[in-house]
Amino acid sequence: MASKAKATSGSTGHKTPKPAKGSARPGMYRASTIYKAPRALPVSQLPAQFGRADLEFIGIDHSGATYEARVYVNNPKANADTQTTLANGYAGSYYIFGHGGCFGDLGHCDIPQKQDAFDRRPSHPLEPLRKVVIATEAIKQAAAKSSEIHITVVPLIMSWTEKTDLKDVMRFDHINLVTYD
Amino acid sequence: MASLIVRKNVDNLDAAELAALRTGYTKAQAIMDNRGYNHFAGLHGIPNWYCWHHDHTTGSTVNANLFLPWHRAYLLSFERAIRDQSPATPKVGLPWWDWSSATSHSNGVPKAFSDATAGGKANPLLRARIFAPTATPPIDRQTRRFPGNPAQLPTAAKITNLLNLGTFNDFSNQLENIHDFIHGWTGGNNGSIGGDMSSLATAAWDPIFYSHHCMIDRLWYVWQSKHGINNIPASLLPLVLTPFNMKVQDVLSINALGYEYAVSFVTL
Repeated sequence: MASKAKATSGSTGHKTPKPAKGSARPGMYRASTIYKAPRALPVSQLPAQFGRADLEFIGIDHSGATYEARVYVNNPKANADTQTTLANGYAGSYYIFGHGGCFGDLGHCDIPQKQDAFDRRPSHPLEPLRKVVIATEAIKQAAAKSSEIHITVVPLIMSWTEKTDLKDVMRFDHINLVTYD
Repeated sequence: MASLIVRKNVDNLDAAELAALRTGYTKAQAIMDNRGYNHFAGLHGIPNWYCWHHDHTTGSTVNANLFLPWHRAYLLSFERAIRDQSPATPKVGLPWWDWSSATSHSNGVPKAFSDATAGGKANPLLRARIFAPTATPPIDRQTRRFPGNPAQLPTAAKITNLLNLGTFNDFSNQLENIHDFIHGWTGGNNGSIGGDMSSLATAAWDPIFYSHHCMIDRLWYVWQSKHGINNIPASLLPLVLTPFNMKVQDVLSINALGYEYAVSFVTL
């Protein structure tokens, strides 16, 4: 399954986010946008047997705040206050150690294209990331109970600088669900 | 024959070792040239951005996961700089912070890094001056740290599961995810602003950065002991770890680099 997230532009300006209540840890703050994968995966498309199931997050922006992304399977109502338990469909979290905003001159944080085939400079530090959440138990549980797999991702802000946009901290291109023997 | 540098758990350093470490940090923090703390901290994020996190492409087609070897080389250079400023005896290596230990789960940040003073002077392991005049805007202030709830730190069971992962990329990616959490946890926020350990731009100025990464490096060493010292994609071996003048193949053996990890070390 490949799900595409909507691109979010985010806004400039800094505003302290609201603290998350309940199960969120002290000091964690709720972000404004919870991601729900636009398409569900029919369980019939999963192999009958698999030893491991990964949710791969592709093209993650890590230029801004530091945050936790909590991944839930088949819990479309999950939010910052949802307990991180398997019963709630919690699959795991990925964490982004954010760059904290741009501390260089104009253009410093733009990701350049290679000039040509002879340009051997390493890729820009802000090249989008790939993160893997090992989600085997949550996927197996969902497959046993439902005919579809829905993914919800809830961001919680852990830390920020005076330069970070706090409106849309979590941005990625899409999610892959990959199973292994 | 030269003896190996012994890196210990910070909670196991005796008073003399801790004092020697603090002397090294204090003197290095006072030096503003390329021997000093400010220079080395500036290699990671602001202003030089040499740090390597997650997969990146190099000048070749290799999609390189150099997080572990780059930070191993970085710690090595930093450790030598601190030892240059440390007393002749006792000679100490960088200590690691075991954030999965029962002590850390009870106390959070180790006392060595949270005491306000040591020996009647400001504790150089609590905070350091960030001097980054070429940043936009320029930065000249002390580091800040707002650690979270100790109960949220990774458990020993989580580390056991991590060490059982069989391939280098899988192990490195999952370890890096834990690493990212620790950065966020340690820097935290006070409701108005975040701490420096949580921002890649300034994390390496917080003195605890190096002991956090010492734990990361140690876990790689423990994993290598289980799964093979050369268990790393061959395509990574010739890649250069800038700016340390080393390649990945040069940093696979910690003994060859002149150090080891020890829970305890007693001379009889």
